[in-house]
This record gives sequence, C-alpha cells and structure tokens, in this order.
Amino acid sequence: MKNIKLVAGILLFGSLWGFSEVIIGSAIQETGLPTGTIMTGFFVITFLVLSRMMYRQPGMQFGMGIIAGALRLFNPFVGCHLCSAIAIMAEGAIFELIWYKISFDFSELKTVITQSSMGIISAYTIYIGGYIVTQILTPIASGATFYIGNLIVFLPRIFSSGLIAALIGGVVLPTILLTKKIDITIKDKLYYPTAFGISLLCWLIIIGNWFLA
Amino acid sequence: MGKEKFIPFLALIVIIIGGISTAYVYATQIDKDTIALNGQEYTIDQIFYLGDIKTIQTFEGEKTGVGLDDLIKKIGVGCPACYEYTIKAKDGYEKTVNWDIMKTGVLSDFKRVFFPETAKAFWVSDIVEIEVK
Repeated sequence: MKNIKLVAGILLFGSLWGFSEVIIGSAIQETGLPTGTIMTGFFVITFLVLSRMMYRQPGMQFGMGIIAGALRLFNPFVGCHLCSAIAIMAEGAIFELIWYKISFDFSELKTVITQSSMGIISAYTIYIGGYIVTQILTPIASGATFYIGNLIVFLPRIFSSGLIAALIGGVVLPTILLTKKIDITIKDKLYYPTAFGISLLCWLIIIGNWFLA
Repeated sequence: MGKEKFIPFLALIVIIIGGISTAYVYATQIDKDTIALNGQEYTIDQIFYLGDIKTIQTFEGEKTGVGLDDLIKKIGVGCPACYEYTIKAKDGYEKTVNWDIMKTGVLSDFKRVFFPETAKAFWVSDIVEIEVK
C-alpha cells in the first residue's frame, strides 16, 4: 500500500512539475524573463523539496523528473523539446545526489541561514547540472556529434546564468520549510482520487494546449 | 567542519563562482555587426547578396534564409565535405556540425541558423562567426 501511495505521489508531483514547465514556463518565456532560472529556482525547488518533506522516500524525486521530462518531451508531440526534457530528468537525479546526505526530517537545516544556503546550492547545482547534461546528451540523442570544446567555451555562461536560480532558491527553500508546521492529512479514500485526478488534469491541459496551439 | 557550517560555506562558494562567471561573461562578450565566415568579415546584407535564398521546413514551421550549402561554396571553401563547421554566437555559445548537417541549414536575416532535422540546441542565435576547420 505504501508503494502505491508513493507511485501516486510521484505521478502527482511529476505531473505538476511537467505542467509548470510546459504551461507556466511557456507563458514566462513569452514575457522575455529568464524562464529556465525561474523554473528551477521557484517551481522545481518547490516541488522537489515539498515532495521530499511529505513522502520522505529516496528515489522519488528522480521518478518525478522522469514523469515531468516525459510531459515536456511529448508536448507538442511533433516538436523537438529533447533538450529541456533531458534537463528536467537530469534535475531530478541531481537533486537526489545533493540531498543524499540530508536526513528526511531536515534536522541539519535548523537555521534560516542553512536553509537558505541549501536552497542556493540546490537551485544552482540543479540548474547548471541540467544545463550541462543536456548540452552533452542532446547532440548525441539527435544523431549529431558531441564536441567537448563547444561545452568548455560555454561553461562561464552556464555558471553565470545559474546565479539567478541560486538566489531564488535561497529564498524559496526556507519558505517551503515553513509549511512543515502545517499538518495536512488526507484519508486514503480521498488521496488516490485527488492524486490521479490532478495528474490527469495536468496531462489533459497539456495535450489540450497542443491541440489549441 | 559540521554540516551547519559546511552548507553556508558551500553556498558562498557557489555565489562567488556565479559572480566571477557573470563578470567574465560581460567582459568577454563580442558585440559586432558583422559575421566572420572562414576568417573574413561580412555584413548580413553582403551575405544575403552572396548566397541563394531558400526555405526549409522545420518542426517550428518554415524558415527562410541564405542556404548554408551555397554560402559555404561561395566564400571559397573548395571541399565542403572535408571540413567541420563551428557556428559561434556572441555570448560564447557554439555548436560544431559536419557537412551533412551544415548543407541542410539556412542563415536568417536575424543572424540565426536553422536546420530541418536537428534539435533546437543547434539553432544558434546572434551569430558572430562560422569557423571552417
């Protein structure tokens, strides 16, 4: 039963993450704001930390990355969104690595300074890690050749662009941890229909968005 | 060093790396109106005068520009298939492609290349140089 609950959680948070990347991310992009940094610093950190706090299960965030990446990859179905899909999947995996040594009750993150610092480290590493992974895998996955020289000369730009994500993450993480004190209990009877219902809604909106575009 | 001290220390390192990188990026950014093709500078108008205009179909619709196959031949590259081509943007972003990919692309008047069958990562914007190597 615990495993089914976890799978439903992965599906729910992964779908919400994918929804935010596709729908909200596209809307932010149209405003000209730095989409990737805002998505990572705010939405990605929120979903990853919140799910870690609620479910306390290792591997969950990687699963969420796969669901969210799949949503990004298949929207629009005919398009090539390989880069961002790979980046999203990598972000989930990188988060797992960074938080491997952090306990599930977040006992190490007692002060606002450590919480904020962890937000900065997480958002920055996830952002630049996802960026680098996609720069390596996208040429390979799309049938071209990966040239290490192309990546090396662009590294300063990647390291620079992660700074905004880091600063956003430094504010967002302590804010999420404030919700630890709120006790929300949903009965199983309501949990599964809610989780699957919200997930289904996210998928339908994304697919519907493609048909309307 | 305990985690309570190590985490803020690491965050400080991250901020310093980000800050130094930002300063480096702004200091080294290339800002010019011309595009260097195989070592020689051309304006976008000269490039459009030089090469044949063609339209290609991409997953984002039709894209029109100077055919890169024709352009590379017109700038005097004798054996196009013998070389690789590094397309460089003003922010340092670059992508290297072989002739099989290069010959399918176009260079738009917004100084951006498009290829019909590659990921969007290859559609380099704000081009300042196409290096033949």
